[in-house]
Amino acid sequence: MYSRAWVRVQSTFGEPLWLAVNLAVPLLSSLAMALLYASAGISKYTGFAILGGIMLAFWGNVLWSMASQFNWDKEEGIFEIYLVSPAPITAILVGMSLGGILATVPSAALVALIGWVFFSASINPSWIAIFLTFILALASLYAMGMLMSSLYLAYGREAESLNSAFAEPINFLSGLYFPSIGIGSPFPFALQVAASLIPLTIGMDALRKSVFYAGNVAAVGVDLVILAVMAVVLLFLGDRALKALENRGRRQGTLVVRLR
Amino acid sequence: MAIVETSKLARMFESKTGSVVALEGVDLQVGEGEVFGLLGPNGAGKTTLIRILSTLLMPTSGNATVAGYDVATQPEKVRPIINMASGSERAGYEFISARGNLWFFSQLYGISSRVFRERVSALSSQLELDGYMDKKVYQLSTGYRQRMTIARAFINDPKVVFMDEPTIALDVMTARRIREFLANQAKESKRTIFLATHNMAETEAICNRVAIIDRGKILVCESPDYLKRKYGTPAFVMEVTPPPNSLDIFASIEGVKGVTSTLDEERGVARVKFVLENEEAVAKIINAAASKMKLLSSWRQEPTLEEVFVNLVGRGFAEREMETAG
Repeated sequence: MYSRAWVRVQSTFGEPLWLAVNLAVPLLSSLAMALLYASAGISKYTGFAILGGIMLAFWGNVLWSMASQFNWDKEEGIFEIYLVSPAPITAILVGMSLGGILATVPSAALVALIGWVFFSASINPSWIAIFLTFILALASLYAMGMLMSSLYLAYGREAESLNSAFAEPINFLSGLYFPSIGIGSPFPFALQVAASLIPLTIGMDALRKSVFYAGNVAAVGVDLVILAVMAVVLLFLGDRALKALENRGRRQGTLVVRLR
Repeated sequence: MAIVETSKLARMFESKTGSVVALEGVDLQVGEGEVFGLLGPNGAGKTTLIRILSTLLMPTSGNATVAGYDVATQPEKVRPIINMASGSERAGYEFISARGNLWFFSQLYGISSRVFRERVSALSSQLELDGYMDKKVYQLSTGYRQRMTIARAFINDPKVVFMDEPTIALDVMTARRIREFLANQAKESKRTIFLATHNMAETEAICNRVAIIDRGKILVCESPDYLKRKYGTPAFVMEVTPPPNSLDIFASIEGVKGVTSTLDEERGVARVKFVLENEEAVAKIINAAASKMKLLSSWRQEPTLEEVFVNLVGRGFAEREMETAG
């Protein structure tokens, strides 16, 4: 677990171009939204945009570095090395998650720093609630990434198209830049219910409460419980899916991409 | 005691055009400390067999065991004691050093950092990787990258190592170095090396026994020398001048199965090759040549494993690969 996290961190900071992309994408997205809100005179939402940019950094890492990593590993021949070893695949994924989180912290911190310096968004934080929400939101997001990685095992490169297809709708529904559920949501109730199935939606809502409205642990308690349950369930489902797909791959001969 | 055993092992693949039989009725027993070669053209089933034995693929029927553990039903028992490497592998994280990559792969086997340091130092020395260990993988040439791959395959001190064409596309010196390393590992550490290759020289150089595989079936399984003696065709070659107008004087000699000739026009020399039924024909050939031409040189040509394959199958590797591709 630790070693895979180390590889992720080393690889991210060893690739200058990748590091630049990791920093630039969430920063530019959140700055664009913050400028939009500021120019429209909705200054209270500029803070939402900056918070969204912070979480977009992690969400992007889940989508493009976690979920699709196994497909890249398969193409490079590393995945079969994992399978031939006694190391559990789930442990490797957890290591990848931890490494991904560590490697993303600079991007998230940069968004926070630049956002708050340039837009001076006012916050009313409850730090303990922020910390707990953040940890549980990340846990559930990366558990979802582990489940998504099993899709890549099943569908290979076709899953990249799924990634692209789902990225923007999830960004939109999950309320990265505006409340998508609860007070202030522009969505009908049914859509809010559907959006609530995404861990990022619950996480963003709870973070907004704890960052901007001094929502303490009690105020975001239900969200914390939902995120914790999501994390456990998604981790369980991801583990099961990976084992089932590994066995299917062994039977059908689809575990290894390269043919000689 | 056999450390790798298969019994009526078979594997079929379903495709849009129908079923493909990749392996059929494979029975093998490989001992501890043996360098066992699996020789056959591309598409013969070598990689499929290695994938089954390394737990990446399940057999369709039959069974296979490694150190007594069933590869299909007990992969968790097999994986700690095996490893594998392939010649076409590019496995390694590009922006991490060779040492860092080897450390990471050692962690997949739960190896402590102290043991890792000892092992990587020995492997690095044996594979002449010293001086390259702290370079990032993208900075390594193909040869050194392959040496790193080989080191990775031994990092967990495995009982059985599966090698799939480990020296393909490598220069002669690097290929030789790797072969020497593999032979030493088998001899000194009693490690079983299961080597799939279509390189005859490699097989003859280091394998204790060779199984020749074609279209998923094992044709024979013996030592290279035995196979060449039993299935190969010894030959006698001589260079003569002036080139003979006809080979009839040689073809009629008792003990000569066949005779061919190639001409070196620049030198005005003919190289005449005789396929023999017995050694007594050599003296008669030399006498016949001496009466009509000048004998410049002569030598015995040992049978090759490709000749063994041709004699068993009726076609060479290249022709068989074209048939399989077609």
